[in-house]
Amino acid sequence: MVTVRTRSWSRPRSIADAERGRVFPVVNAVLLSIVVLVTVYPFATIVARSFSGEGEIRSGQVSVIPRGFNLTTYKLVMSDATFWVNYRNTVVYTVTATVVAMVLTTCYAYVLSKKNLKGRGALIGIAVFTMFFTGGLIPNYVLVTSLGLKNSVWAIALPNAINVFNLLVMKAFFESLPGDLEEAAAVDGLSTYGILLRIVLPLSKAVIATMVLFYSVTFWNSWFSAFLYMDRVDLFPVTVYLRNLIAGAATATSVGSSKDSLAQTAANIQAVTMVLTVLPIMLVYPFIQRYFVSGVMLGAVKG
Amino acid sequence: MLPMTRRRVLLTAGAATAALAAAGCDGGDDSATTEDLSGNRTGAMPDFKAGTQFTATTPLTFSILYSNHADYPLNKDWLFWKELTKRTNVTLTTVAVPRSDYEQKRSLLIGAGDAPTIIPKTYRDQEIPFVSSGAILAVSDYLDLMPNFTTKIAKWNLGADLDTIRRTDGKFYVLPGVHEEVWTDYSVAMRTDVLDKLREPVPRTWDDVHDALAAMKSAYPATIPFSDRFGIPTPGGCLLSVISAAYNTAAGWDYQNAYWRPAQKKFVFTGAMDEYRNMLQFLNTLVRAGLMDREGFTQEDDAAIQKLATEKSFAICANAQSIVNDYRPALAKTHPEAKVAKIPQPAGPAGNVRRGGRLENGVMISSKARQSKDFVAMMQFIDWLWYSDEGEEFARWGVPGVTYTKTPAGEYRYLNGLDGTLPLQQKYGFFNGVFAYGGSTQLLESMFSEEEKEFQKAVNAKTTLPLAPPHPLTDEEQERATLWETPLKDFVAAASLQFILGQRDFAQWDAYLQELETKNMSAYIDLINEAYQRYAKDHG
Repeated sequence: MVTVRTRSWSRPRSIADAERGRVFPVVNAVLLSIVVLVTVYPFATIVARSFSGEGEIRSGQVSVIPRGFNLTTYKLVMSDATFWVNYRNTVVYTVTATVVAMVLTTCYAYVLSKKNLKGRGALIGIAVFTMFFTGGLIPNYVLVTSLGLKNSVWAIALPNAINVFNLLVMKAFFESLPGDLEEAAAVDGLSTYGILLRIVLPLSKAVIATMVLFYSVTFWNSWFSAFLYMDRVDLFPVTVYLRNLIAGAATATSVGSSKDSLAQTAANIQAVTMVLTVLPIMLVYPFIQRYFVSGVMLGAVKG
Repeated sequence: MLPMTRRRVLLTAGAATAALAAAGCDGGDDSATTEDLSGNRTGAMPDFKAGTQFTATTPLTFSILYSNHADYPLNKDWLFWKELTKRTNVTLTTVAVPRSDYEQKRSLLIGAGDAPTIIPKTYRDQEIPFVSSGAILAVSDYLDLMPNFTTKIAKWNLGADLDTIRRTDGKFYVLPGVHEEVWTDYSVAMRTDVLDKLREPVPRTWDDVHDALAAMKSAYPATIPFSDRFGIPTPGGCLLSVISAAYNTAAGWDYQNAYWRPAQKKFVFTGAMDEYRNMLQFLNTLVRAGLMDREGFTQEDDAAIQKLATEKSFAICANAQSIVNDYRPALAKTHPEAKVAKIPQPAGPAGNVRRGGRLENGVMISSKARQSKDFVAMMQFIDWLWYSDEGEEFARWGVPGVTYTKTPAGEYRYLNGLDGTLPLQQKYGFFNGVFAYGGSTQLLESMFSEEEKEFQKAVNAKTTLPLAPPHPLTDEEQERATLWETPLKDFVAAASLQFILGQRDFAQWDAYLQELETKNMSAYIDLINEAYQRYAKDHG
């Protein structure tokens, strides 16, 4: 439907329109190319640094082409057992937390999409309330700790299970599905759960894919929950490892007199770790992108 | 020393009171513990003295907050842990926190009442927020349990240093790392080969620095000879801290609003001192003559290093590590013939002086530890590991015959193919920032390169500026001071930069003082002086 509209806009109706029609794609392409460049350049620099020698980076010779090409840094980082343990944790946390988040968000959103539900306003209110107010750091910590969740994946998965923004997008999507469909299914004898599982969810692949992507990227990148609730190095996700590597090196010099800043992490080690950390989640994008675009559009337009 | 009036007296019959003769403290009242500790002696050694190997009489476990360094991530298989348990019969359980965000997690854990008992890596004044809540222990009350600590305080005459960390009640709440001598690492590094080429001697004073930079400028007109780093987050942090000592004032990393004047026995406002203005004027001269890079005060470290590597500059601030890790590798790629080295901090109008204290970051202890059965043993353990000669040597060098060996002349040599501190840290867990710091000059220098030893020898000839006496604020005063402190500090920092860069003329100095006045400069200094006099009266 969207493509049809675009075509009708771009069809020239007058000379002015015709010129606009020629100018727009050019301006568009130039602008977008600049955006792409701005986005890709820092990443290209990091990749180039990861393959370069430390001395070359320090003397400012590296921009987007590696200098002093070597793979030893990759070997060094990949031989670090802690890095892989933390990497595995990231995968486990991301998968678990995303599954939990998807189940809970989908159920909640589906319920909220039913206009005849009693107390619907209150349920939405509870969700939206948490968007604006939080308990604060220490009360949250005390709660999670006294529930015995500390040092387990649940400390990461449960408190972040429902993202209210995602919930509202999903709710809007479910509301946009024709009610007749569900009525017909009910007439044919399906229960509420049957309707959800056999009719609604198969029709919602786009929004589900989008939400999976949203959640998994968030969990993959997040470090704060793990930082708060994990007390052991072998429980940290790779983001905490990475942050310590980069922020730790930066703070060491700013403290000035701190005498344990003796060995600063080399710039190429930081670059290699960054590349290895972002690689998997970047590789997911091309596969989900098809659903992603339509999913976001559906939520936005019908909401 | 008869300070019994101020103590919480919990005397019960039979509680032994050992006199703390060793502690040569001037201001505080660190006398013997008069509390009954008979219920807290599980595992403690009855005859623990300085130099005794601490070994708990029953196996004990203590929890410790552990700042995890990215370069040597915590490893439970380290020889350090095994050997520590073997020697002391103590097992440490760690709560590992990434070093990048250590302070935040520490505040959270203490705030939530969930902190481990031993909390190391607490830097100067970081304990203040926790003192009034009673969450951390007034460790000065229990010094009689720590013979190694008190011996070192007495032997190295650290009483005055210790006084600087006392709070209004005369007690201190952190067991600081202690050094035998002042150690200053940061200074100016210069391209010594360029100096040689221009037949310029290594500068001894800041005027010499000016001449050397001028000679460089005339030989290489396209360069700006001094382009500094370490300017983030404090603009000019390192340079200002180094040069301000030579002017007998404080700036950059060392800036504090109040500066101690021993002759007048009072504090004055640092940013309003004549010495401070003279220092700014000198730097302004360098900037105006094109000898010092304007960007140098705020640029990223990498940008400064690149200028040095590409010969756009010849001088930069440095510590021992940045010479070896940053400057030399960078120059090796671009100008292999280049030589760069730290020069001893140049002297200034205040003479050949240096600034520095002998206290390091240290250990806090959760108050709840006081109630535990093994409290005494824990204090003895901390005393042994952080303050005994054996403990310090162990934490730094490891196990003789495994990680190091000592020559008859007392020099340390690595063993087992170790060739530097990093392998020692990564493989074995020694020389760990959490456990190894402070100590005797001999131990400290045992890990220095020859070059650094030479540097330290030159620096040690300097006179050390006097320490400011204690002037702790009450909670209510602290609140008022905090309101004034940051605006004053930020304003001084911004105006200093403007004066240096020539954006503000020195004819406006009086107007600047007026502005400071509107930001409560006098009220602030009065507050500090009152606190100083009160403390001197109560504890002097």
